[in-house]
Amino acid sequence: MSAKQTTTSAAFLATLKRDLLIAIKKKNDIVNPFMFFIIVVSLFPIGISPESDRLREIAAGVIWISVLLASMLSMDNLYRSDYEDGSLEQLLLSPHPLFFLVLAKNISHWLVSGLPVVLVSPLLAYMLNLPAQAYGTLILTLLLGTPIMSLIGSIAVALTVGLGSRGLILAVITLPMSVPVLIFGTLAVQSTLNSLSPLGYLSLMLVMLSVAISLAPLASAAALRISVN
Amino acid sequence: MWLWFSKLGSPKWFYELSGRWLPWLTAAMIIFMTIGLVWGLLFLPPDYQQGFTSRILIVHVAVAGTSLAFFPLMFVAGTITLVWKMKLADMVAKNAAILGAWFSFVTLATGSLWGSVMWGTWWEWTDSRLVSMLFQLFLLIGVISLRSALEDSETAAKACALLSIVGCINVVIIKYSVEWWNTLHQASSPISTDSSSPNGPEFWIATLIMIVAVYLFLSVSLILATRNEILERERRSQWVRDLVLKS
Amino acid sequence: MLTAHRLFCARDDRVLFKNLNLELSEGQIMQLRGSNGSGKTTLMRILCGLNDSYEGSIKWYGQEIADQAVNFFSSLLYIGHRVGVSKVLSPVENLRWSCSLKQRVDDEAIYRALAEVGLRGFEESPCYTLSAGQHQRVSLARLIISPARLWVLDEPFTTLDAKGVAQLENLLQRQAQAGGAVLVTTHHRLNIPELTVLSLG
Repeated sequence: MSAKQTTTSAAFLATLKRDLLIAIKKKNDIVNPFMFFIIVVSLFPIGISPESDRLREIAAGVIWISVLLASMLSMDNLYRSDYEDGSLEQLLLSPHPLFFLVLAKNISHWLVSGLPVVLVSPLLAYMLNLPAQAYGTLILTLLLGTPIMSLIGSIAVALTVGLGSRGLILAVITLPMSVPVLIFGTLAVQSTLNSLSPLGYLSLMLVMLSVAISLAPLASAAALRISVN
Repeated sequence: MWLWFSKLGSPKWFYELSGRWLPWLTAAMIIFMTIGLVWGLLFLPPDYQQGFTSRILIVHVAVAGTSLAFFPLMFVAGTITLVWKMKLADMVAKNAAILGAWFSFVTLATGSLWGSVMWGTWWEWTDSRLVSMLFQLFLLIGVISLRSALEDSETAAKACALLSIVGCINVVIIKYSVEWWNTLHQASSPISTDSSSPNGPEFWIATLIMIVAVYLFLSVSLILATRNEILERERRSQWVRDLVLKS
Repeated sequence: MLTAHRLFCARDDRVLFKNLNLELSEGQIMQLRGSNGSGKTTLMRILCGLNDSYEGSIKWYGQEIADQAVNFFSSLLYIGHRVGVSKVLSPVENLRWSCSLKQRVDDEAIYRALAEVGLRGFEESPCYTLSAGQHQRVSLARLIISPARLWVLDEPFTTLDAKGVAQLENLLQRQAQAGGAVLVTTHHRLNIPELTVLSLG
């Protein structure tokens, strides 16, 4: 028996691979939140002001808030289809620590929903007239902040996965929790614009990310066990 | 110790004990509340800077201080629910979330009432305490709506317990990050929070009395709500039937 | 190998079962019977460790399952109402993942198992093109691949045709002969000689 058993890392990789495969086959689930993000950002200049000075001031905030909203949309399919087809039960009955399997799902989710947003952000920053010196900081904050959102959102999704009609409860639970990420993300960009070093904020976000990586999957795992009862 | 703990978890035991305590707590609450309100709102000498407005602050500070107790309370109750599966902890947590939302709301209301006189505006983003209280309110509403969305009461209990624990950690982080965010924007704000705390020993004594009164009010309402919850959830058990027949 | 002692479970004030004792030993096939809503599924999920809202003790070879989750989970194969087959993936991709959660498996074994359950030619087609019965067959292929000693199957017969039913009955008996144990719920009359029946409700 033990000779044939998989290692935890093999189970981790298998889960990561499977989720990426599903994401590739269900392109809508990736493309729609991504398009939502781009459209929301494009609406701000129309709603607020097309003046380049005004846009420059709000650019970082607009991009960050749109990222948060888009992540709410993409979070929804993190566990739902697995819950509906019973794969989640199989995941829970694995002999491997659920922590790593949940982490694998979160990483795969971030790769298909967070990373594209980070990659397209310079383009949107350009459209919003953000000065070029702040691009680097913006990308870094998004690179650190979007995984935090995936990890925190995962807890809320896991708690609500059993609900038939979930509506916006996910956003009501998760968005207030995103305040610290939003604050440090925008402050870092702001301080670059004021020719100050954003390193302090970035390292704080790094701390938050490492705390989130080590604790959030535990909470998600516990939440999944509660929901699949 | 263990015996004591499991006894404490029994709803029946809690119902009987709290029934004995309730009159005393209520009496103490009425006394403190009367002294605090009558003295604080009617007789306290006006502050030299703020005038009579400082009297609102007595209520505001007391309610605000109490509001901060809810998430730690729910954190403890949530841990007990998840680790020892104690039903009583969940009944307390359920009502704590609702009461906490009301307390946060009253804090915001009295805060902006005071702000409207002192600062000339009902809402001020540069006051970090108001902003973090707002987000505490949002988080509590999240917990309440999660409970109402989940149908199975046991799943709801555990899910809310977990969310309360996560929420409590988050509230602390939000509080500090909002404060930080604020100090950086303070420069552009015409309001300085330093002048907002009036001095004078009478003021502090009145506030202290009011804080005790509000804490007593919190305990009494939490106990009353929990007793209701116990009767509702245990309605099929023998002791509740006996109780109803007796009355 | 699996013993449950004085199980009690209530769902929202309704007692599903109380003082329930169960003993499953090697080579045994046990069928759970009971009307709808009698708690068959709940009992199975409790025994698997998916549901923890019960009182009583469940032991695996004399030790509480909660104390040896890793050991217990690696000897358990559970197939529920929802069979754990993702619609977007093909049968092979599904099995690669669900088997690798428990044991190392090569593609050859997967193809062989799929052929055995009659899915030759469907290995690479996405599962949304397959019927419900074929989904069930994908999950049955796991029974062939898995070395798990304990099978817990919730209504595995519902969507199968006559041939599939016979094949599954055959599989169950093979498992019992090999020293494993099976816990199964079904409304079918099982064509298995040495069957233990536990009635609920």
